[in-house]
Amino acid sequence: MKRSLRSWLWRVPLDQEFDEEIALHIEMRTRELIAEGMAPADARATAIKKMGDLASLKYECVDLGRKRDREMRVTLWLEELRDDVRFAIRQLAGAPAFTMVATLTLALGIGANSAIFALVDATLLRPLPYGDADQLVTIWETSSATPRGFASPPNMLDWKSRSRTFETMAGYTPSMGSMVMSGRDGNALTVSRQWVTSGIFDVLGVKPIAGRTFSPDDEAQRRRSVVISEGLWDTRFDRDPSIVGGELKLDGELWTVVGVMPRNFEILGRTSMWAMRPFPPNMPPRARASYQLQVVGRMKPGVAVEAARADLAAVAEGLSREYPEFNKGRTVTLEPLHDTMVGSDLKTTSMLFLGVVGFVLLICCANVANLLLARATARSRELAVRSALGAGRRRIIRQLLTESVVLSIIGGAFGIAVGAAILQVAPVLIPDGLLPAAVTLSFDMRVVAFCAAAALLVGAVFGIAPAFHATAMAPTEAMGADSRTTTGGGGRLRSLLVVGEVATAVLLLFGAGLLLRTLIAVQSYDRGYRADNVLTMLVDPLGSAYPPPVKQQQFYDQVEAEVRAVPGVADVGWSSGLPLGESVFGEYPFHFEVVGDAPLDEAQKPTTSYQIVSATYFSTLELPIVAGRGFDSRDVNGSPRVLIVNEAFAKSLAPRNPIGLRVSVRAVDSPNAEPVTLEIVGVAKQVKQRPDEAADFVQMYTPLLQDPIGDIHLLVKANTGRAEALTAAVRAAISRIDKDQLVSVSSITTLEDVEWAATGRHRFRATMVAAFAALAVVLAMVGVFGILAYSVQQRVRDFGVRRALGATTGDVLRLVVGSAIKVIAAGAVIGLVLSAAFGRLISTMLFGVQLLDLLTFALVTIVLGVTAALSIAGPAWRAARIDPAQALRTK
Amino acid sequence: MPPTSNKTPNALLHGALDALILKTLTRGPSHGYAVARYIEETTGDAFLIEDGSLYPALYRLERKGWVEAEWGTSELGRRAKLYRLTPAGRAQLAAEVATWKRFSAGVSKVFAT
Repeated sequence: MKRSLRSWLWRVPLDQEFDEEIALHIEMRTRELIAEGMAPADARATAIKKMGDLASLKYECVDLGRKRDREMRVTLWLEELRDDVRFAIRQLAGAPAFTMVATLTLALGIGANSAIFALVDATLLRPLPYGDADQLVTIWETSSATPRGFASPPNMLDWKSRSRTFETMAGYTPSMGSMVMSGRDGNALTVSRQWVTSGIFDVLGVKPIAGRTFSPDDEAQRRRSVVISEGLWDTRFDRDPSIVGGELKLDGELWTVVGVMPRNFEILGRTSMWAMRPFPPNMPPRARASYQLQVVGRMKPGVAVEAARADLAAVAEGLSREYPEFNKGRTVTLEPLHDTMVGSDLKTTSMLFLGVVGFVLLICCANVANLLLARATARSRELAVRSALGAGRRRIIRQLLTESVVLSIIGGAFGIAVGAAILQVAPVLIPDGLLPAAVTLSFDMRVVAFCAAAALLVGAVFGIAPAFHATAMAPTEAMGADSRTTTGGGGRLRSLLVVGEVATAVLLLFGAGLLLRTLIAVQSYDRGYRADNVLTMLVDPLGSAYPPPVKQQQFYDQVEAEVRAVPGVADVGWSSGLPLGESVFGEYPFHFEVVGDAPLDEAQKPTTSYQIVSATYFSTLELPIVAGRGFDSRDVNGSPRVLIVNEAFAKSLAPRNPIGLRVSVRAVDSPNAEPVTLEIVGVAKQVKQRPDEAADFVQMYTPLLQDPIGDIHLLVKANTGRAEALTAAVRAAISRIDKDQLVSVSSITTLEDVEWAATGRHRFRATMVAAFAALAVVLAMVGVFGILAYSVQQRVRDFGVRRALGATTGDVLRLVVGSAIKVIAAGAVIGLVLSAAFGRLISTMLFGVQLLDLLTFALVTIVLGVTAALSIAGPAWRAARIDPAQALRTK
Repeated sequence: MPPTSNKTPNALLHGALDALILKTLTRGPSHGYAVARYIEETTGDAFLIEDGSLYPALYRLERKGWVEAEWGTSELGRRAKLYRLTPAGRAQLAAEVATWKRFSAGVSKVFAT
């Protein structure tokens, strides 16, 4: 009564309500005054006067009334919400099996999504941890041969001083090196170090947590200055503040520690310290050909990358006219620093995962929607009663939506836990080097907010269809109907949802299949060499202790002899690079041409990669020489220079026999260097440079004795057993030679581990997608099981009648299995068609497998068949066991 | 500036007026004029208020949920807005009366010495 009274009152506008009230008051007062003997006109005037200022009175009352109405509406809404939530919780508690299955499904879906969101957030959404990171760009110096090359220091200084769009610029060496730090306790330690120019910290906008950054004075005075990382400060110096301003002995020389950088500050790699490399303005002209710096620029506020690019291109154009001998044909290219750090590989991987977990979440939604539909059908009588008692359709839909949102919020809460758990174990799965140093995965408020938003959205999405469906029936129809007969529309919708689930699961399975095939392909190709039982480490004899190449070579020879004497060592070799691993000078291509051939244009000259090896390298790796000879005692310093080429190199010279040909080689990036002429003495078997390279790469080997280098990989082949077991003995052998602790030994690993790391990205993608696909299949089959079990339960009497009329167990089974197979087959066909269409999107991540791979098709079909059989078995068994006599008695 | 009443009673009067209205409504639902008349009759000249100031008080009480409004019929046979005491209003009145009794007992004690 109260409610209807209110709504009736509300239909009168507030000001009219007030006017009527006041009119009545004045009327009554006037009558009273007349009764007391006043003249009617006077009475009315007095009555009005007694009211006071009517205008302000009306304003005050209408205002109060308006506030009252608003509060009442809010209170009413909140009360309804509270009732709905309470009712929803009661409903969910009353159906614990349904609630558990639905919550678990949602928790898995939302949890998987939140973990992947953390990855996508860290890599794609969040800005880099630098001040005004949007204004930072990487500047590459480019030529026809190197589209993204490093810059020479004088060029960088000229870009900096001549450009108008940049606030400042600085550079760093792209690869980490290491220095030997003499410890206070007498133990030398190898620490990683990156060379930087003096302004790097100002460009990136990071402040030291102790001390300062490099000053112009440091550079002008060419002081040996380093900034150390918080990590090193912690582990090595116990955060001793006195270290700042003090000196460290690095590589035998004293360096001043000027400051400490916070932990999360790392430039394109993890390092313990940054050493300043001074570049005075008066560098010799040849320095223009020394391409060694990766340059970062900070654009002025409001400057767009395009404008900065045009500006710098003009500057580079001027430089190429001024210094034609070094800069002819060289220009610049810019990209946001974020893009440089988050490589395209990481970007596509993140997007792939995001797509995959998105599909998983869709399957989760479909499953829960299915459960809700089944429940709504079972509850149709209850809903009809409520509707007959006066609840409007909107009100009932709101109630049902509240239920699904409450459900999804519970699921989301568990999802947060699932996501946090995934992120706990994720770092183990993520291959080294995939995540840039400046990016960290963390489960923070942003991820929690994502979970909350996902839960609300999901609750609304999977709740809407069941809510509308449940309320579509007229109350009389629903109440009159026996619940067994109300399966029509809901049944079709449920079947469609399951078809969609199966299709999505097939799509994910297919993607996982392709990625797994890729992983198998990159792991099982013919490497050309044998990697088992080979231990490797990077040995760096310091320049000051071993200055001349002769002395350095003596050191290598002594180490080799000492290591050979270690029991269990089969062979020892040296190399500037590891197959599938890093080279000490990075990717450093050389132009080559056969001496005597017609000279080619610079741009047309073929290129080769370049590796310095000892004569024993080939035997250590069991890498066959397929023609000619290997290196031997003839190939020493002073004798004619020789090289061994790989099969791809030899093929490029066909039909000539490569043995005996003389080629002239020169580093692509040093057009002014004197070319070196060498004679081909052998052809080595082709090895892979990258596990998934599309074409065979061209490679040449030069003998270490003719081509000395400063730091080099030592390779030790073990006789039997695991190569790691030799580590201590080999290190001890090196120490026996290096008595003054002036040799840095780092990157100790095995070739197997190097290969494992090289295929890490493929493995990461394949395992993640396979795990999500497995989850998707399980969920889809839960969906199949759900509709089957439900329909069998609904049709118990129907089956009973059929059995009573003479149908065999086989007939009933055929009915049940047939309906399931129809749904699964439809889903499978749609899924395979989608796979063929979507496969293109991941084609860049595939290797050694066709998009429409028949084996993958077959495997997907088998997996689907087996899981489908499992999900059908239960309901089918139940249907087969229906006893007609009992079934006909059930309600 | 919107027109505002500068004749709002002070806080004490405010509370007293509210309590009087609530007390009046214990006799049953009444329209504004009846409330005004009853207060006039029972308090005599002790509590002279402007007729107008009664209405903001009634609206305020309704907003607080102490009274609620409904349409009824006046003595003139016209539609009239009637105010009715709610359970919350009854409780509020009891509290006000108790406070008032404590207050007046204290004051009386002072005057009795």
